[in-house]
Amino acid sequence: MDFDDTPEEAAFRAEALAWLEAHAAPRDLDTTRPSMGGFGDEYVRQCQQWQRTLYDGGWAGITWPKEYGGRGGTGRQAGIFSQEQAKFDVSNGVFAVGIGMVGPTLMAHATDAQKERYLGPMLRGEEIWCQLFSEPGAGSDLAGLSTKAVRDGDEWLVNGQKVWTSGAQHSTFGILMTRTDPDAPKHEGITYFVVDMATPGIDVRPLRQITGVAHFNEVFLTDVRVPNDNVVGEPNGGWRVAVTTMAHERALIGGGVGLGFRDVLRLARSCGRTDDGRVRQALATAYGRFEVLKFLGYRVQTAASQGRPPGPESSVMKLAYSQHLAALADLVLSLEGAAGMLNGDDAPDAGQWQQHFLNQWSSRIGGGTDQIQRNVIGERVLGLPREPRVDKDVPFRAIPG
Amino acid sequence: MDFTFDDGQAAVRELAEQIFQGRATVERVKAVEAGEDRFDRELWVDLAKAELLGLCLPEAYGGSGLGLVELCLVLEQQGRVVAPVPVLATVTAAMAVAEFGTDDQQAEWLPRVARGDAVLTSALEPTADPSRLISVPWAHVADRVLVPVGGELHLLDPNGPGVRSERAIATDRSVVSHLTIDGAPTERLPGSSVQWLRDRMLVGQAATQVGVAEAALEMTATYTSNRRQFEKPLSTFQGVALKAGDAYIATEAMRVTMWQAAWRLASGLDAADAVLVAKWWAADGGQRVVHITQHLHGGMGADIDYPVHRYFLWGKQLSDSLGGASPTLARLGRVIAGATA
Repeated sequence: MDFDDTPEEAAFRAEALAWLEAHAAPRDLDTTRPSMGGFGDEYVRQCQQWQRTLYDGGWAGITWPKEYGGRGGTGRQAGIFSQEQAKFDVSNGVFAVGIGMVGPTLMAHATDAQKERYLGPMLRGEEIWCQLFSEPGAGSDLAGLSTKAVRDGDEWLVNGQKVWTSGAQHSTFGILMTRTDPDAPKHEGITYFVVDMATPGIDVRPLRQITGVAHFNEVFLTDVRVPNDNVVGEPNGGWRVAVTTMAHERALIGGGVGLGFRDVLRLARSCGRTDDGRVRQALATAYGRFEVLKFLGYRVQTAASQGRPPGPESSVMKLAYSQHLAALADLVLSLEGAAGMLNGDDAPDAGQWQQHFLNQWSSRIGGGTDQIQRNVIGERVLGLPREPRVDKDVPFRAIPG
Repeated sequence: MDFTFDDGQAAVRELAEQIFQGRATVERVKAVEAGEDRFDRELWVDLAKAELLGLCLPEAYGGSGLGLVELCLVLEQQGRVVAPVPVLATVTAAMAVAEFGTDDQQAEWLPRVARGDAVLTSALEPTADPSRLISVPWAHVADRVLVPVGGELHLLDPNGPGVRSERAIATDRSVVSHLTIDGAPTERLPGSSVQWLRDRMLVGQAATQVGVAEAALEMTATYTSNRRQFEKPLSTFQGVALKAGDAYIATEAMRVTMWQAAWRLASGLDAADAVLVAKWWAADGGQRVVHITQHLHGGMGADIDYPVHRYFLWGKQLSDSLGGASPTLARLGRVIAGATA
């Protein structure tokens, strides 16, 4: 065990930093606008440009195999690169769903033809992906989803509604979970598709959020025709595919590189608060949490390097991260005093901390709530007996609405 | 000891509840929030007509001669519907005018406040530079701002000469103003005390926070009881029910500490520690409650078409206004353990 960079990792870090310095501008916290705010057209364009630059430089998809255009590197290297990249004024956030979640899912479950078609353009930043999972009636209970797909010759006919879909308005493709066998128990009658977002019958409506932007959408699907070739995995075997996607989603959220401890400390200093014993204690607590997250992240990266996909331990990390985010937002706003209660451009640091405070819900709810993560930890890490389930072996259509 | 309200107080609460519930509907609050001033002037007129703005002002100037406990009953009802009106800012400032103002000052301002014809506010957020008053609530629509000069309060015309005013938007989406003062004339409230006003502001905020917390918790109980996941209501999961229980305990702690402070101030008793205990619960407990209520609404909490997010934002604003939980604890420590701590 060794928590520090090995000589190889240090060399990798130096190489990454040198390349970033040659290709990106440093991040200036005093002037940089928060990047989590919405997917504006300009932001999307900048992400696409940066992703292409990464690809051309050989830095896109660090953990992706070379045959799919990746670097064939380790999870630890991917972590090192994102640490270094965070120092620069660049983002590839619109590709998080695609490269972070869909890519690894397709590598594990898709046909060769599907991998051939989707992975390259995904990694080059040419196509943006969104996740059509949650429904108004299926949030924590995702397997209770009711969007229906019915086989019709070489196609499937899809009807239903999805919600909380990040970036749907900019996406070329979506990953779509549907009910295909209502007579099977609910986890066993689900099929996972790739759907072209330009297909007739798909209606995307933005939701205005507490952060002031419309990042999420409602997506209505009316008689949407999806080719049978777009099924990922087996028909009615979609839950297993989705579990892969969700484990990567949790690892992605839990490994979120936001502002670092240095930023918090800099703010505390600029507010003249570092001589206050209570503030010092709160800063020390925050520092401790940052350290825990860093090492939990290394553990997930190391597992990935050894070829193990993220499992229930990504729930530990996501839970730790979302709790940290909530406490950190409250700490930072309290450091700012009266100015901490200002919103938007009027607030210190161009409103970044206020945005963190408001945006904490996308991490605490999205990708499975804190309670769902605790359930996963209880049942799949600690081996506690599962909660009594009334729906386990009952056909989906027999479950009372 | 008697924790019940008398008939007059019960009538005040009922009247306030009727007006706030009837007028400050979700649609109305949303419409006012979309406006430039974010001030529900129609509701303000209704509150004046119902004699709720003059409630705590002397009868000689058109008021009802009641006190802080009655004001807190009104504020609790306001908090329940997160209504955008400057009741707390105006009435506490008017109470300071009634307590310390000259006859002329009282005659000029108190009848106008009681009629709903004047908005008053105060600039009590700590500032390093006395010529720069930051985040003054309601100053954009105020006729006078009470500003600290030494330990006393002065009346300042925010629209008069020597005052530059910039608007900003606060966490709770209200408009606040940063005032830069350069040679503006002010009018002294003789013998007044900043601390006197701050104490009443803090208790009034705590009363508003009780309303915010209890209404948010009721919405949460309803939402989680109607929303079904895993074939049963969300509220039947212990992960949900226990959190709601924690929020209820915090709300009741906020309520009893707030009434203790309001009653002591209204009765002319020493309330230095009681005010800080109430403020601490409003700040720390209030924040915990709205985190829980927001969380238990899942994605709905982040969607601004759904009303619960306003309670989260108000809870945060009330929590951190005039010093958050941590500075309050430090002050309380000095009060109970001695100034040298």
